[in-house]
Amino acid sequence: MKRLKGYLILLFLMGVNYTFAQSITVEGNVNDEKGLPLPGVTIVVAGTSQGSLTDFNGYYAITAPSGDAKLVFSYIGMQTLTAPVNNRSVINVVLKENLEALETVMIVAYGTTTKEAYTGAAAVIDNKIIEDRPVSSFEKALQGTTAGLMVSNSSGQPGAGSTVRIRGIGSLSAGSAPLYVLDGVPMSGSISDINPNDIESVTVLKDAAASSLYGSRAANGVILITTKQGKSGFTKISFSSQLGVSQRISEGYKLMNSTQFYEQSWMGLYNQAILDGQTVDQAQDYAHNEVEQIVGYNPFGVENPLDSNGKLIPGTQVVTNTDWRDEIYKTGIIQTYNLNVSGGSELTKMFMSLGYFNDSGTTIGSDFSRITNKINVSHQINSFLKAGINSHLSYSKTNAPPSGSGGANPVRSAEVINAASPVYDGAGNYDWGNKAIFDFNPVGLAALDKYIYKTKRAVVNIYLDVNISPSFKFRTTAGVDNSISDGLNYYNPEHGNGAGVNGRSSASRSDNLAWNISNILTYSRSKDISYFEVLLGQEALGSDYSVLSAGVTDFAVPGKPDLVWGAKPEQPGSLTSSWNMVSYLSQIKYDYDSRIYLSTSARVDGSSRFGKNNKYGLFYSFGAGWQLSKESWMPQWTWLNNAKLRASYGTSGNNNIGNYASLGLYGSGANYGGYPGLTPVQLANEDLSWEKIQSSNIGLDLGFFNKLTASFEFYNRNSDGLLFARPLSAGTGIGSILSNLGAMKNSGIEASFKYNLIDSDKFYSSIGFNISTNTNKIIDLTTEKIVSGTKLLEEGSSIYQFYMREWAGVNPDNGKPMWYVNADSDDKDENTLPDSAYDDPLGSGKQVTSEYTDAERKRLGNSLPKVYGGLNYDLSYKNFDLNFYLYYSYGGKAYNSDYIANMHDGTQSGNNLALDAADAWTPNNRYTNVPRYVINNTNQSEQMSSRFIEDASYVRLKNVNISYNLPVSTCESWKLKSFKAYVSAENLFTLTSFKGFDPEVAINGITNNNIPGVKVVTVGFKIEL
Amino acid sequence: MKIFIMKKKVLNLIKTAFLTLVLVSCSNDFLELEPTDAISEKEVFDSYVTANSALMGAYDQLSGFNFGGLYNPIMADIMGEDVMINSVDNWNWFIPVYQMTLLPNYVYIDSPWWAGFKLIYDANSIINNSIYIPDATPEQITNLVGQAQVLRAYAMLKLAQMYSPAYAKNPEAPSILLNTGTDDLYSGFERATLSEVYAQIESDLIAAASQLEENNDKGFFDGRAANALLARLYLDMGEWEKSRDHAKLASESLTLMSLNDMFAGFSTRNSETIYSIAFTQEDNNTYLSLPSFYWPVGGYSSMRANNNFVSEFSAADARKSFFLKYDEIDPDRYIIVKFGHNNSVGNAERICIRASEMLLIEAECEAELGNYSEAQNALYEIQRRSNPGVSKSTATDQALIDEVLLERRKELFGEGFRWQDIKRRQLPFIRTGDHWVTYSFTAQDPDYFRLTFPIPQSEIDANPALSNSDQNIGY
Repeated sequence: MKRLKGYLILLFLMGVNYTFAQSITVEGNVNDEKGLPLPGVTIVVAGTSQGSLTDFNGYYAITAPSGDAKLVFSYIGMQTLTAPVNNRSVINVVLKENLEALETVMIVAYGTTTKEAYTGAAAVIDNKIIEDRPVSSFEKALQGTTAGLMVSNSSGQPGAGSTVRIRGIGSLSAGSAPLYVLDGVPMSGSISDINPNDIESVTVLKDAAASSLYGSRAANGVILITTKQGKSGFTKISFSSQLGVSQRISEGYKLMNSTQFYEQSWMGLYNQAILDGQTVDQAQDYAHNEVEQIVGYNPFGVENPLDSNGKLIPGTQVVTNTDWRDEIYKTGIIQTYNLNVSGGSELTKMFMSLGYFNDSGTTIGSDFSRITNKINVSHQINSFLKAGINSHLSYSKTNAPPSGSGGANPVRSAEVINAASPVYDGAGNYDWGNKAIFDFNPVGLAALDKYIYKTKRAVVNIYLDVNISPSFKFRTTAGVDNSISDGLNYYNPEHGNGAGVNGRSSASRSDNLAWNISNILTYSRSKDISYFEVLLGQEALGSDYSVLSAGVTDFAVPGKPDLVWGAKPEQPGSLTSSWNMVSYLSQIKYDYDSRIYLSTSARVDGSSRFGKNNKYGLFYSFGAGWQLSKESWMPQWTWLNNAKLRASYGTSGNNNIGNYASLGLYGSGANYGGYPGLTPVQLANEDLSWEKIQSSNIGLDLGFFNKLTASFEFYNRNSDGLLFARPLSAGTGIGSILSNLGAMKNSGIEASFKYNLIDSDKFYSSIGFNISTNTNKIIDLTTEKIVSGTKLLEEGSSIYQFYMREWAGVNPDNGKPMWYVNADSDDKDENTLPDSAYDDPLGSGKQVTSEYTDAERKRLGNSLPKVYGGLNYDLSYKNFDLNFYLYYSYGGKAYNSDYIANMHDGTQSGNNLALDAADAWTPNNRYTNVPRYVINNTNQSEQMSSRFIEDASYVRLKNVNISYNLPVSTCESWKLKSFKAYVSAENLFTLTSFKGFDPEVAINGITNNNIPGVKVVTVGFKIEL
Repeated sequence: MKIFIMKKKVLNLIKTAFLTLVLVSCSNDFLELEPTDAISEKEVFDSYVTANSALMGAYDQLSGFNFGGLYNPIMADIMGEDVMINSVDNWNWFIPVYQMTLLPNYVYIDSPWWAGFKLIYDANSIINNSIYIPDATPEQITNLVGQAQVLRAYAMLKLAQMYSPAYAKNPEAPSILLNTGTDDLYSGFERATLSEVYAQIESDLIAAASQLEENNDKGFFDGRAANALLARLYLDMGEWEKSRDHAKLASESLTLMSLNDMFAGFSTRNSETIYSIAFTQEDNNTYLSLPSFYWPVGGYSSMRANNNFVSEFSAADARKSFFLKYDEIDPDRYIIVKFGHNNSVGNAERICIRASEMLLIEAECEAELGNYSEAQNALYEIQRRSNPGVSKSTATDQALIDEVLLERRKELFGEGFRWQDIKRRQLPFIRTGDHWVTYSFTAQDPDYFRLTFPIPQSEIDANPALSNSDQNIGY
């Protein structure tokens, strides 16, 4: 037995020796044409997967299976070189720059291509733009970088997502957000769990040729996120850290101080009494008696601080003058730490990262922190099998007080609680008596109430690549995306929302499990000067979202939010919502002579979301590219380096319609008297289907003088069968039915330019600029007009067209508000003037009325910008880099509903006023835009009208970054690969005439008391070992 | 060789997996999913259990704060002279209702309209489908349909009273939409005349009154409740005899609540309750309840009584103690302690119909019919409960009617009658005293339009059969 074992070992060793005898070790150096070493060159033994990389000195070593093998040297931007080994053991090579084409590999739908061969409209954003920015999520860093991509952050809540739109708004009411695909697998749910520093590149697919392969989910464009992968060679360890301070983005409009508000309230009471027919003396008495009741507090040290005209008696001490904004807003601290390890061998490559992000927030009670972990591993199993796993784990926790118009929103509180209201009473306890939001002291609530949200997320994708033959390749991928979120809201028993029930706690847990399986078979064949590729595939996916919620009231022990502390349980709830999809897809590509590129794709999607009569949909596309500059008939102009024309046409769909939108349903929970009940909640529409988008694109890529590149895109997106909750008469019971109602068109032009100002060894400078236009137009609605809030939907107009009464100013004779009658408007059928109409005393020549209802509503522009885009500048000199991005948005309008709350003209008498309200009409101040201030005003002046529509155009310095890289020699002596230190500033300044904190409001142009955006200055460094 | 075999195996495996997936995913169940928190409308009337749950759902719709739970009763008194809502510390609830400066896009106009029609729709489904329930007995079907008819009639009557001018003024005036169950979603509905709507209500109630048995659980409509609503309907129409007869049927053999019951907060049903919304803390929004607004502490607590109204009560009238002056809460105006919290804020049933109202209807009708002594007796019945020493009225004719109407204010204030009483009687609207918005106009003044709600703008915009010219006068 022992002998046998020894024999086997011997045999084994001999076998090994035998193979060694066959192979040959080759080493050498790779340099560029200037003789400088090239690190990171890939060397592959032709026909195998054996490979190696050059090190920092350009040195490589590789084992070739035999002396007559060939080595292939490749490097981005260099011509690929094939060198036969010919039994040499040293092979030094020089790689030439590839002047013809910068053939960069692009990650595209279900595969890769080169920029050269691509027929669609897509933009690649590399990690330089995304890394080292003090943002929680990568999409915030994309603003202004790419033509046609609109990113808007309407809330400064730390960790909050942004609204991302590609080429306008394609839908009326279904989601308009793009599809996000992470490492080839479509994501389900939020993208803000991804650590921006793990991202290698982002590809934005804009037209149908680019995105149609994603079928019924591609209508709003697709964003492909590719994370970093390990490379074979030295193990690289890098650590980066940054620390920043943040503040709200601007000061906003001024609010009244306590004296101004007290005086204004006095005047409101006085005016109220005068309008009631009282004498001046009576009115003054009335105002003196009531003013403290209206304001809620006497902010002065004396009993009667005002003189007979309602002005503060000079010398009166002001005891209370609270700046509620100072109480609510604070300086935030943003910290990020990232540790990456990457490396691998020829067979196994891996990338690992650990990241921590913390934003303490600029508003009391709000913050965000996140830990992320990424592990990407790939392994070559044998000559034809390769497997890999991309895993992403994250945990985030945020405190997020509510937004909107509720009492618990601290942002709203800061605006509406008047300055005469103290934060603390005389004894140092919170004071709860303010008149604007009684019992809701935001400082007290921030300390006592809780809004805690936690999310755990795991996105794990595994894949197996099979090289069936040189022509046939097969990839199977399976992915799971699971996020588990916990929420806990706690209202303290004493004050605010919980006071009536002696405290309330509500907890919820949701679990979103999405899965995805895809199998893709590709066949490719190169022949002389042509290339042919066919892709066939199948995909199935599904998602189950389940939620469990419970609540209790009646808390005996204060400050203990867990449900066990409450005495009375409330109605708990649980439900699961699911959807499934099954798809088949194919794509054919053909390249001829690197001049002509053709592609076509088709996909069939069957979805559980669609109505019975419309379960399956077909989506297809055609694209073509023509490299004009390579045509023989083209004159060989030296100034023209590149000219490529692209054209595409295709269809896609939008399936963001809710999981069960086609079914007629009776919902649960309509309980009565302790008996369980059912109630109709939704009307059936068995024809309900995806929204159909037809998009066409013409693109032109040009390069001049080796310095300037320009790209133009002209696009047209026609959406048809738009989903809309069609309003129905109340007589039908349920106010609407989800229907494929209308058609919409988005068309526009995008242009981007990049100019290399200076490009020498030590000095590099470039400037880039992009501009996008988008015209959004509703083409067809089955209902003639749909009025929805501030908007009017109708054929020929934008989805976000404002429709309301037109403000005509203030009548100088009596301080009443005026609106233009606009009798010719089609709001009311008849064009007769109402009795209340009169000639505009301000001399517009039009008829005005002071009766709100007698004025007709009018179309008043829309909230989408006419043009938007960015400008970026890069400068590097020796070891210094400077770059900045500007973002601009021009021509959009906003309805400033936040401002209304501070311009209430007396309707919300206890609420604070903007300083602008001090300009209210008085007999001595007749020409003003602010009506007479009257307590309990009934003049309707604060009703929806163009008085509150503002121009929301702006230019913003999005980011400035100055960095210093330690010279290579110093790094080496410190045993570092590299060291970089930088200062970066986000949103440093904004030019705008908008009155609120931030002109970057929600995409529909309505402000909603959101936490204002932030400006951030950070310092950071990055070390590589 | 080994590698080659393995490759072949792997390829076969992949082929099989691929085909399996393709075949499995073709199965139809994969694409036919249903929610877990709702059921298909087709299943609702497949069994009595679910159909009965749909009836509970309809009652729930009635009990919602934007209809029977709060908006109906509170707005009907705020649109009157006897009570008011504070302008401060009230989160602006009902301010424009009190100011009577309502616009067609206001939530107070919009939400009761939609809530009421949703209730009508719920009831229509039950009335039109219950006959097909396979496992229901004829009694069960009769009961389901009968209750749904009362629910529909209740909703229609409330909506008609709010959104149309008074029947007494013009029975042919445009009223509400009349839909008893069409599948046509898209043509819209014209405004039916008041007489058409009242005829529909009448037929529903007569059918229900004859079919429904008495139910001991007063949280549900029964035959007695149907009669009570008929009494209200005929009162609006000035059909005094019919109104009196049905009022009698409705209150027959009921004992009036005691004075003690009266001061128990109107939060639980008692001996004279004919229908009460079975409000529970779990199912309803306790902040949006009558006591939350009326009771001086705990909720919004912003309702106050007008000083002139309070002075109408004689000192011997126990109901006078519903009003208190309490400096720490409000140094200026009377607080109201009629509607109380039952142990916790807003936990209170909402008594919609009670025998006292029926007795007052009887009194009013008898007075109108010239049966003065019957009228005086019925009136006395109400008066003596809160003032045992009161002498029976000797008034006749209009004086007696006026006395009954005043008694309605005293007995029923806060319960949601005043607005319609003014309208159906075409009384002048006079707000004086410590009201912070005063009015004085008669039924002949243009301002009288304020007593009729506008048709919601949302309805006009969504309903192809209506245009802005169908709007009520004055808006």
